[in-house]
Amino acid sequence: MACNTRNKYPAQVFNNENHRLNLYGDNVEVDYRGYEVTVENFLRVLTGRHETAVPRSKRLLSDEGSHILLYMTGHGGDEFLKFQDSEELQSHDLADAVKQMKEKHRFKELLIMVDTCQAATLFNQLQSPGVLAIGSSMKGENSYSHHLDSDVGVSVVDRFTYYTLAFFERLNIYDNASLSSLFSSYNPSLLMSTAYYRKDLYKRRLEEVPVTNFFGSVMETIHTDAAYKALSRRNSGRFEDEMSLDQSVHHIERRMLIKVNDGYEIHDINPEGEEGASKCPWSTFRNKFQKAENVDSLVNYGLVAMIPLLVISTWLVQ
Amino acid sequence: MAEISEAPDSDSSKLFGSDSKAPQRPDSEPEFDPKLMRKTKPGLKRLFLTFSVLFSFLLGFPFLWKSVEIYRSPLPFREIDSLSTQLRSDTLLFPLHFHALFVGFDSDPDRLRWSILSEITKLTSQNPKCSDNYTLSVTVDLGSRCLRGRTSSPHSSSYQCGSVTGGDFVQNDDVAVDERLASVFGGKNNEYSMAVVKGVSERAVVGKYRHAWMVVGDGSDVEMAVVKVAEVLIKVFINGGREEGLIRNEFMPVGADGKIVLSFNLLNADPHDWVYDWDFEKIDDTLLTPMIEALGPVANISVESQVLYHTPKASFSYWNQKLESYVFSTKDLPFFVNSNEWHLDTSIAAGGRSKILQFAVYVPSAKECPLLLQLPNGEISKTNGFISPDLENMFEVFIGQFRQLFGFKSLNVYTGASGDWNLLPSERGFTEWELDVLSRQHTCFNLHSCATTLGSLSRLVQSLPRMIIKDEIGKQVKLSLEAAKLALSNASSGVYESSAASSSQARSLAEDAFFHPSIMSVSYYSFEHCFAVYSPFFLPVSMHVVLAALRELRRYKQEKAKYLAWKAKANTAT
Repeated sequence: MACNTRNKYPAQVFNNENHRLNLYGDNVEVDYRGYEVTVENFLRVLTGRHETAVPRSKRLLSDEGSHILLYMTGHGGDEFLKFQDSEELQSHDLADAVKQMKEKHRFKELLIMVDTCQAATLFNQLQSPGVLAIGSSMKGENSYSHHLDSDVGVSVVDRFTYYTLAFFERLNIYDNASLSSLFSSYNPSLLMSTAYYRKDLYKRRLEEVPVTNFFGSVMETIHTDAAYKALSRRNSGRFEDEMSLDQSVHHIERRMLIKVNDGYEIHDINPEGEEGASKCPWSTFRNKFQKAENVDSLVNYGLVAMIPLLVISTWLVQ
Repeated sequence: MAEISEAPDSDSSKLFGSDSKAPQRPDSEPEFDPKLMRKTKPGLKRLFLTFSVLFSFLLGFPFLWKSVEIYRSPLPFREIDSLSTQLRSDTLLFPLHFHALFVGFDSDPDRLRWSILSEITKLTSQNPKCSDNYTLSVTVDLGSRCLRGRTSSPHSSSYQCGSVTGGDFVQNDDVAVDERLASVFGGKNNEYSMAVVKGVSERAVVGKYRHAWMVVGDGSDVEMAVVKVAEVLIKVFINGGREEGLIRNEFMPVGADGKIVLSFNLLNADPHDWVYDWDFEKIDDTLLTPMIEALGPVANISVESQVLYHTPKASFSYWNQKLESYVFSTKDLPFFVNSNEWHLDTSIAAGGRSKILQFAVYVPSAKECPLLLQLPNGEISKTNGFISPDLENMFEVFIGQFRQLFGFKSLNVYTGASGDWNLLPSERGFTEWELDVLSRQHTCFNLHSCATTLGSLSRLVQSLPRMIIKDEIGKQVKLSLEAAKLALSNASSGVYESSAASSSQARSLAEDAFFHPSIMSVSYYSFEHCFAVYSPFFLPVSMHVVLAALRELRRYKQEKAKYLAWKAKANTAT
């Protein structure tokens, strides 16, 4: 999106009309973009089955203690999510990938947030423990965009995403907001859909889980009490001091354990102003078909018509 | 109109071919009904023609089947299942032998052995996955002679009478005593020794090798000594002196491919104030290489280092007048690591599945110097602020942290329920008995992980019958099973190092097979899809061919029946 030739602000994507925050800013690392965003790559990232040449920055380096946030937004429908206008991620594929991840201990807790039409159907088939999922709308409901940026010409943010961001903007660094406060902050009348979440697979109570469990890359730290004093027994004049080092914290970089705490985000391609209000494909599809001929029934009739033709030809030859 | 009614007959018979002659209206032979009889034997040409077409169709079918066949390398499913059940049912047993030596005590060795064993059984917790199968032998050295207790192990004690006396322990040099005892006991793999001596000053020390000793005062009871002996054998030699909860139990510092990459980073927050550098090569050669060698069986370790500039931290500190330095608390520690600015994970040597352990040394800017960390109890941490400019001290902290990842504490004292033990540190970073604990723990974990991975792989492969299984995967699975068998046999005979190495190899091969990039269910179509693709080509044509063959067969039978009827009639006439 940022490098699309029709983008008036090249290499910049904003989430608001006021252009205050550039989502492709300095500290943002986007690992998959453009034609690399496919269902296959997505499932490869989740399950970890990459080719050997794929660099570490493009892999999900999680282990048995990681908390993963999976945020998906775009077009979707009943049990699917649309990728790149040409393929779909089905709910059973996602459930299968999560099952394989759990078997290989690739996460301890997983939060899935989906912002599409009929989003809650995407995680219908999940069975693995430790997964918490929330969708912006239920089956049969649409999810809507929030507002249109007339300068750029597209809708810049969806309602569910907008209110999620608003929730986080209200917090400060030491706040201990819980996930239940996040989930209850979604107002159905403002969202114009019902945000539905599924917590039957998640064992902890939502009131006790802070949002920093998944957002913000906040790590658990353990202090090292003592140094291992074996070496000072040797002659300590061995090393000339090359520096006067006023060190600060030694802390083992446990980044790679809980690194994926925060946004592992799939940057999907946002719709380009498709009639603004509804962004579900099925209604438009259906409309088109009703106007044109019903292709399916035509095919069926053709097949059925072949049988009498066969019978007639057999009889004629006799 | 006889002619007209005749004509279709002759026409139709001409259509059918030349070998059926138009039946004349016979005048000579009575009762010849052309509809029911014929004079000549029906030919086989038509039948042959249609059946040859059908036959060629049928002949092509196996070629078609072969061309759409998917290649699946045969995986040894039964062996995988048997490995899983073997590991699940009989828990992995590591054989250990303990030898307890009492010097200067006048007690019965068998009674001592019995009381030590009863103490041990009180302390042993049931580890469901892997347990240890230990044997105990007790020797009482009375100076002039030795009383050796009954022992259930086949190990004959190699201890020579009178090698250890009370006088050895008079001086307080633990290292010298340790070396002396090492020469006496030998310290072979999986044999642990314990010496209890009556002396003047009370002391309890665990050495660097595979033995420990205890000096008890004159008035103390041998029963107290027995309790302490049992505790050190179980809590220290078997469990490694760890407690639950220090590091999460599920965390394994070794990556799935058996490698660890140690990445050392020196971070200069603000190079305008000052810039620091280090001579990493020297440190690597002298301090890190022995430790890496010692950990060889457990993990394949490689080391990298880098110096970074302009790496500010994300949290804040405040000035503390009393301490005359900037202080920040552990509350800010989770935000300390500034992932945005600190580009630590830039290793190109690390493969996709290795674990990288990042050790970072942060040099604060002049605005925040000196910088101290305050613990929740109000104390200032001893391990983070260095006044003495010694790289060695810094690396001691590194080694302390590295040991912490493996679950070992670095305080030189083990505080047990029945008293304190001094733990002698080793220049290699890990003592021999600690390495044994690691080998056993890693063997156990690796074998179980290997079995579950192979089980998952076999279930996955069986659930997708149309997925291609490459030869590479089959080979990896076979090699993994062989390595696992080798590890099991080595573990049960007590050779820990090679069993740890084989088990790590087994696990890494199993992970390679499971994470092979070709196992993606999205790329393979179901059988229904294949049928739907090929049936529009072949079904209509094959239907016609089969129908034609059947029709010809039926016609042939009819003509044959007609001929036979005529023959019968002719025979009856003549």
